[in-house]
Amino acid sequence: MLAGVCTLVIAGGLSACSSSDASGGSDGGATTIDVWLMRDSVSARFQKEFVQGFRAAHPDIEVKVQIQEWDGIGEKVTAALASNDAPDVIETGNTQVAQFAQSGGLLDLSDKVDELGGGDWLRGLAEPGAYEGKQYGIPYYAANRVVIYRTDLFRKAGVDPAAIKTRDQWIAATEKLNKGGTQGIYLPGQTWYALAGFIWDEGGDLAERSGDSWEGTLDTPEALRGMDFYKKLQALGKGPRDSDEAEPPQAEVMAKGQVAQIISTPGGANVVIESNPELKGRLGFFPIPGKTADRPGSVFIGGSDLVVPAASGKQDAAFTFIKELTGDAWQRKLAVAMSYVPNKTTLADAVASDPGTAAMAAGAAVGRATPNTPAWAAVEAKNPIKDYMTAVLTGADAGAEAAKASESITEAMRSGS
Amino acid sequence: MSIIRERAAIRLPLGRPSRRQPRRGSQRSAPPGPGHGRRLRPGRAWPYLLVAPTVLGMLYLLVYPLARTVLISLQDFRLRQLIRGDARFVGLRNYETLLTDGHFWQVVRRTFLFMAVDVVLIMLLATLVALVIERLGRLGRTAVLSALVLAWAMPVIAATTVFQWLFHSEFGIVNHTLTGLGFDSFDRYPWFAHGPAAFTILVLLIVWQSVPFAAITLYSALATVPSELYESARIDGAPAGRIFRSITFPMIRPIFMLVLSLEVIWTFKAFVQIWVMTNGGPGDATTILPVYAVQTALSSQRYDLGSAASMVTVLMMAAVLVLYFRQLFRQEGEAL
Amino acid sequence: MSSPRPRLRRLPLHVAAGTTIVVCLFPVYWMVVTAFKPNRDIQSDSPQLLPQTWTLDHFRTAVDADGFALFWRNSILVTLGAVLLALAVALGAAFAVARMRWRGRRQFMLMVFIAQMAPWEALIIPVYIISRDTGMLDRLPTLTLIYFMMTLPFTIVVLRGFIAAIPAELEEAAQVDGCTRAGAFRHVAFPLLAPGLMATSLFGYITAWNEFTYANFLIIKHQDSRTLPVWLSSFQNVFGTDWGATMAASTLFALPALAVFLLLQRHVTAGFAAGAVKG
Repeated sequence: MLAGVCTLVIAGGLSACSSSDASGGSDGGATTIDVWLMRDSVSARFQKEFVQGFRAAHPDIEVKVQIQEWDGIGEKVTAALASNDAPDVIETGNTQVAQFAQSGGLLDLSDKVDELGGGDWLRGLAEPGAYEGKQYGIPYYAANRVVIYRTDLFRKAGVDPAAIKTRDQWIAATEKLNKGGTQGIYLPGQTWYALAGFIWDEGGDLAERSGDSWEGTLDTPEALRGMDFYKKLQALGKGPRDSDEAEPPQAEVMAKGQVAQIISTPGGANVVIESNPELKGRLGFFPIPGKTADRPGSVFIGGSDLVVPAASGKQDAAFTFIKELTGDAWQRKLAVAMSYVPNKTTLADAVASDPGTAAMAAGAAVGRATPNTPAWAAVEAKNPIKDYMTAVLTGADAGAEAAKASESITEAMRSGS
Repeated sequence: MSIIRERAAIRLPLGRPSRRQPRRGSQRSAPPGPGHGRRLRPGRAWPYLLVAPTVLGMLYLLVYPLARTVLISLQDFRLRQLIRGDARFVGLRNYETLLTDGHFWQVVRRTFLFMAVDVVLIMLLATLVALVIERLGRLGRTAVLSALVLAWAMPVIAATTVFQWLFHSEFGIVNHTLTGLGFDSFDRYPWFAHGPAAFTILVLLIVWQSVPFAAITLYSALATVPSELYESARIDGAPAGRIFRSITFPMIRPIFMLVLSLEVIWTFKAFVQIWVMTNGGPGDATTILPVYAVQTALSSQRYDLGSAASMVTVLMMAAVLVLYFRQLFRQEGEAL
Repeated sequence: MSSPRPRLRRLPLHVAAGTTIVVCLFPVYWMVVTAFKPNRDIQSDSPQLLPQTWTLDHFRTAVDADGFALFWRNSILVTLGAVLLALAVALGAAFAVARMRWRGRRQFMLMVFIAQMAPWEALIIPVYIISRDTGMLDRLPTLTLIYFMMTLPFTIVVLRGFIAAIPAELEEAAQVDGCTRAGAFRHVAFPLLAPGLMATSLFGYITAWNEFTYANFLIIKHQDSRTLPVWLSSFQNVFGTDWGATMAASTLFALPALAVFLLLQRHVTAGFAAGAVKG
């Protein structure tokens, strides 16, 4: 039996070795770089096109792209940054850059900002990519939430989506839609990014800096008004009050056909149609309405930055890669192919023809990000905001719950820093 | 071989072979029994050779990493130190931070409550199930055992997700059924928004996942109890309860205590289910020690504090089990 | 004895058995059924016990996913390696503890018990550092060794219990009958050990087969060395999780456990019948 075990272990070892030699350094003068992109960040088709184009332009660099999963990605990037054999370029969420930068695991790219045209970058990507005045993350792409609506249900209810410019109009329209079997809006109780937008519109924030430390500010009058609006909107549909938009996937809920609106990135529309092809051609988009007609609602800018680990042995080649992928030519193609907001405000015209992306780009112009500090990661790990939302939506006193949640945020940020 | 059968039936106390062995001055190369060193000269090294792989493996794969965990808990060790490797020694500061945090003690109390409730339920149900299996015919036995194995083998993530679905406020079959039965207060009842409710669901999940192992193991132990013992007791007309107390339980006691101690350890260390289902929430209502440790270590990247919390957890667990060890030593006497 | 009475008396027994089966299987059933439901029916306002429409799409997604065969192979290699290694090492140690008397035995058992309590979540950082410094990152044997160590203490403890429970007289008697010592162990003790071997190898299998954190943390750059649990997470994307595919994959994933059990079940019944004993 023991012999069998040994053979097995050795076989495992051998096979692991024999197939791992491909990632070795330079063969025939070409430098091979490893690039980590996130699942769904690029389509297989775009990836192939880009790699081919890149090879043609830089025959001396061989690119190996690995697609990473979202689940457990924080730990994975941590492990990679600390290893002796790190990948050369990593895509990371814009709000994650700060904590990795603080650790000293990333390469400072400040001196390259001008070369990359950093003056035009989207604020929501560039600011979280910087830490203590140095630029570590290079803006890659952005995506933010818009309202996806059912054109046919709107028509039937006699609602003109183009006329929805303010929150009051939005509520009125949603009330009109929320009749019979139709849900005016499917808004799960813990969509905290949407709440953040409402709070920013009121002039509040999730947390504010006071001196050296940060304090949760969900209990300010502004933030409470934001929550109040969320509660009003949430009641106009049957969104579960105790889960977020991923559980169950809200696109699947909309695919069932009884939901008039959801708040999602435009890509969600594809998921809806994939699940229920009958809805093809019946989905439209508009930016989340603001308090007043002259300004769309603030949105949380989700998106990614590209970083270079300090442990990478091929930093020049890595930079060449970043320069290509975040450069204007490929950004235009990427935005069209993937329905993203490109990384520069000057490129917004690239997506003007796509209604979903155009609605998104309008919102992105006033996009914000979560507090830019490594300590924020500790808040999201526990996320008292979600508990707060569920508590208020199920009838608890908003003021008291907000004070409690703010305290948790303060505490989390203190221990996380 | 009827003599052997008799002997096996007489031999009552399980796990105490030594008591009997000296009496049996066995011939030839019988298993190296105690007290016969003279006969076992070349065999003297045998036990050490047999345990050597275990000891070496543990030293390298367990003791060494554990020592480094202790070291980390005495350092200022965060993401930066993991990457750069220039950790500073800070003495007991991390433990001080931890133990002076009122929040931490709440978590400790909750952990003990969680463990106690889980373990009691698990042992009770598992014993019942094991007794049921033992009395079933071959077909029924295979059916129940297979069901247990399937439940046990269901991937943790899948099981946790399914439980989450069952109790979902809007789409869960539990609320659906309860409302259907006329309990209108359960219409859209958000289970996971209420601390005690979420806590209860997690207990249910853990018990559901743990009973199969405990039941199968207890049943295996029951299966080694010679049936003659029951037969004679039944002929004497003893009631079932007394048969269990005076015959069955003493026989399976070592394994029962073993399973009990393992369940104490495992529920103390329950993590994935809680992490996936509630992330320790709502508020802190389902945060027990391992969740707390991971929240500090991996999410806040305070590896030092997380390690300290884990070490404290181990010490507490050991404190609970020290009673068990003592009893084990006493009971096994010389055998151990 | 009249025949209806025992049957009536056995009724509560059968009710209990039936309840156990239903309670155990309901979540499993839900997992399997979900795997056959189209996405939009998976979580619906009116939960269905039976799918209205059946679909095999999720199984197709799961099987067609990149690297399906490769990750199965990895998981099987790692799991089998860990379980067999643990069994081999533990059998020796358990025998030494249960049947031999030697200095340090108490201490050894105490160590094994304490090893049960190992805080694996906290050990991940040191294990990572050690693997990194010895060049063992990104390699399957590292995982095999970790899973081996996760299951070893348990395996020793349980096997010790089972070996101790087997009357030494049985072996001795067999030896009197002319068996060698090894032969006595093999023919007499081994069948009686089968339930213990089953419990421990199942435990090892389930632990190693399901483990995610280490597999995710220690296999970094070499994606071909990923194991199934990590691969399962690939059904998650920014819009949520493809639960249908996850449940389909989980179903496929749980099948080997049942197979292992059914395979061992024969040995177990053989052990129960204890033919060798009752001759």
